[in-house]
Amino acid sequence: MTAVALACKAVVAVLLVAAGGAKLADLPGFAASVRLFLPGTAARRLDGRAAPRLDRGVALGIAAGEITAGAASLSSPRANWLNLVVLAICCGFVAVSAAGYRWHRGRSCRCFGALSRRRFNLAGLGRSMLIALGAGVATAPVRAVLIQLGPADRIGLLAGALLVAGAAFSAAAAVGAGRGSQDAQPGWA
Amino acid sequence: MITLATIFVVIAAILCLAALLALLGIGHLGLSGPDALARDGLARGQPAPAWTLEDSAGVPHSCPPSRPLQLIVFADHSLKSFPSVVTGLRALLADEDLEIVILTRGPAGHAEPVLHQLGLAGVPVLTGSPASYGRCNVRVMPFAIFVDSAGRVRASSLVNHDWQLAKLRQVAAIPVGADEVAGRRRKPAMAG
Repeated sequence: MTAVALACKAVVAVLLVAAGGAKLADLPGFAASVRLFLPGTAARRLDGRAAPRLDRGVALGIAAGEITAGAASLSSPRANWLNLVVLAICCGFVAVSAAGYRWHRGRSCRCFGALSRRRFNLAGLGRSMLIALGAGVATAPVRAVLIQLGPADRIGLLAGALLVAGAAFSAAAAVGAGRGSQDAQPGWA
Repeated sequence: MITLATIFVVIAAILCLAALLALLGIGHLGLSGPDALARDGLARGQPAPAWTLEDSAGVPHSCPPSRPLQLIVFADHSLKSFPSVVTGLRALLADEDLEIVILTRGPAGHAEPVLHQLGLAGVPVLTGSPASYGRCNVRVMPFAIFVDSAGRVRASSLVNHDWQLAKLRQVAAIPVGADEVAGRRRKPAMAG
């Protein structure tokens, strides 16, 4: 059971990191999804310039939070409180999926930025519940002494998580948002 | 002895590696797959973004063009690297119905001497903004878009060879049909 819990923890952590990296590559697109769930009163109180900044800020916070939580969970398996944080995030996903299914069915969720064309539907709700279930299993108590990692292991896992985030960012940029970007500086000289 | 910590590190490392490989594959497909090439440029029949830009002599050039057809060549880098495209452009210079303009995001003054060397003297070079590239969905170059005098896209594609330009010119000569004006995306698969 302990090994299963640790495997679930690693899977959910890698998913979080990849999803966060992909969202960062298409913040305007993800911000549009965020806007669906912002209270109308909050948007009305803001003028036309501030509202997009709020959407983007929330979108940036979610993406950065996912990467941070995933990377921390992967590199610090002893910290049980992180399992609860990850579970709370995953429960948030379930709530958003349910609300999206109820009120915005068929709209793009941008859960993985441009990497996925998933929409708010029953399958999406099922997937988020599955991830939350994995996060729930990962909260199973593990004796800290059994899962003590050395500094090299922790640094290696942290680097791995950041690599995944970077790869997700690059892949999402290539798939969607990279259309207008160029690798090299233009020049005829 | 294999500990739980070792198992966790191994599982996590395998997952990271699998995710990396999958993401690299997705990214590669996103850049070079058929879908990626098909979405570049603008669909035939779609309205082309309107603009007016001055060349280095101060002569304004506009889209939609005053001539029946306009060929916009997006080229941020020297066309010296694409001799076959230069050959194709030279062949089109004599076309009375066609206005050729080159769009670059660098200073037009750098491109003009090069074009002179390549036998394309007189082809206006316009400095476009990154936004104009984005509006035309141009990410790979040299990229050619044919626009008619009504401002409709007749053909668009990445061009690497003279025969691609010639084929695009043939497609551009065909008026846009009513179904295409309605927005159906029909692009000739030319790139490659």
